[in-house]
Amino acid sequence: MIELKNVRMCFDDFNALDGVDLTIPEGTAFGLLGSNGAGKSTILRLLSGVYKQTEGEVLIDGKPVYDNVEEKSRVFFINDETVQFGNMTLTDMRKYYRGFYPKFSDETFDKLNGVIKLPENKRLDKFSKGMKRQAIVITGLACCTDYLLLDEAFDGLDPTMRIIVKRMLVDAMLDRKLTTIISSHNLKEINEVCDTAALLHQGKLLFNRDLDSVKGSIQKVQAAFEEEVTEKDFEGLNVLHFERNQSIVYIIIKGEESEIRAELEKKKPKVLDMIPLTLEEVFIYEMEGMGYDYNGIR
Amino acid sequence: MYTIDLQSRTPIYEQLYKKVVELILKDELKAGDKLPSVRELAKSLGVNPNTVSKAFQLLERDKVIYSLAGRGSFVSEINADSVKEKALADFDNAAAEALKAGLTRRELIERLDGGVKAGENHEQTS
Repeated sequence: MIELKNVRMCFDDFNALDGVDLTIPEGTAFGLLGSNGAGKSTILRLLSGVYKQTEGEVLIDGKPVYDNVEEKSRVFFINDETVQFGNMTLTDMRKYYRGFYPKFSDETFDKLNGVIKLPENKRLDKFSKGMKRQAIVITGLACCTDYLLLDEAFDGLDPTMRIIVKRMLVDAMLDRKLTTIISSHNLKEINEVCDTAALLHQGKLLFNRDLDSVKGSIQKVQAAFEEEVTEKDFEGLNVLHFERNQSIVYIIIKGEESEIRAELEKKKPKVLDMIPLTLEEVFIYEMEGMGYDYNGIR
Repeated sequence: MYTIDLQSRTPIYEQLYKKVVELILKDELKAGDKLPSVRELAKSLGVNPNTVSKAFQLLERDKVIYSLAGRGSFVSEINADSVKEKALADFDNAAAEALKAGLTRRELIERLDGGVKAGENHEQTS
């Protein structure tokens, strides 16, 4: 289990994280969403022990991560930067990481590269961007850690590689209860891979929820009523947005479809249409509801 | 056979639940048939295994399927009636809504005739 307790991370006078509380249970595929600079990578770097938090606690199974070799050997961080491996070959990387990670699996490594077929004795700085990415993903999966952190996870991977990685993650989640944390600004990807997601904005956690419960949690209503209505008439409901165009009202309401429908029926609508928002729309309205500009998250 | 729409507004686990029920109603899955494992489904659909497990748990709770430790999940015997009952209940609700919305019984019957024909064609082609 991963726990962040009131974590603050300051770089000079910039607050990258501003009091984040977050718990991620074992076996979860967790998505970290947010615009650029929201603090996603900072969280991943704290979890892999690259940074030490300014305030608060960063714990893996109850133990602090920073300067803790044992806990760090249970975490692999697939970074979006691969420059540090420039002068290494894939064979060098295998040896290097085998030394750090006690559960390193040569079998997994060979199985993966058997499909990808990267040259094993060519320096990484001679690789294309996508190949570098593949090299680090292969290595990361072969380390067989309990926690796998993926920064901008699927960027630079072609569709075939994406499928391979997803399937590897399925096996690892079922066989050894792997916990994955994936940062992305791509909602579609998070929706496919993750079961839980958190939204970060300017160093703060806006929300953290089971993705299935996010879908269908907000309804878009289009209705017409006998009598003229105003926003006041819907005060009993959790209205996020209200718009009226002559006799037709458009309302965005947070809540269960059946409950909202029952409530609206009381006002004897002439027309009542209701559809749940898509995941993307939910995120946009949630951001808007908290007074944030959502343009960065699309 | 197990297809889902990742772009849909309906949660993935719910789509999977409905898919299994649909396959049973269409007789493509029969009592005692073995379902694919969570692993196989998660991999072939490209989704999270926790999501697939959730659908299976709900199907098991509603006695649509049962699981045998180490052997997998199977379609239950008694499900046909309960599934049909649920489909009828859903239909009743939808019909009630439609009547409230101002449609007439005749319109609904005509609609149903059209819809049933489409359904039959669908069965023949599938």
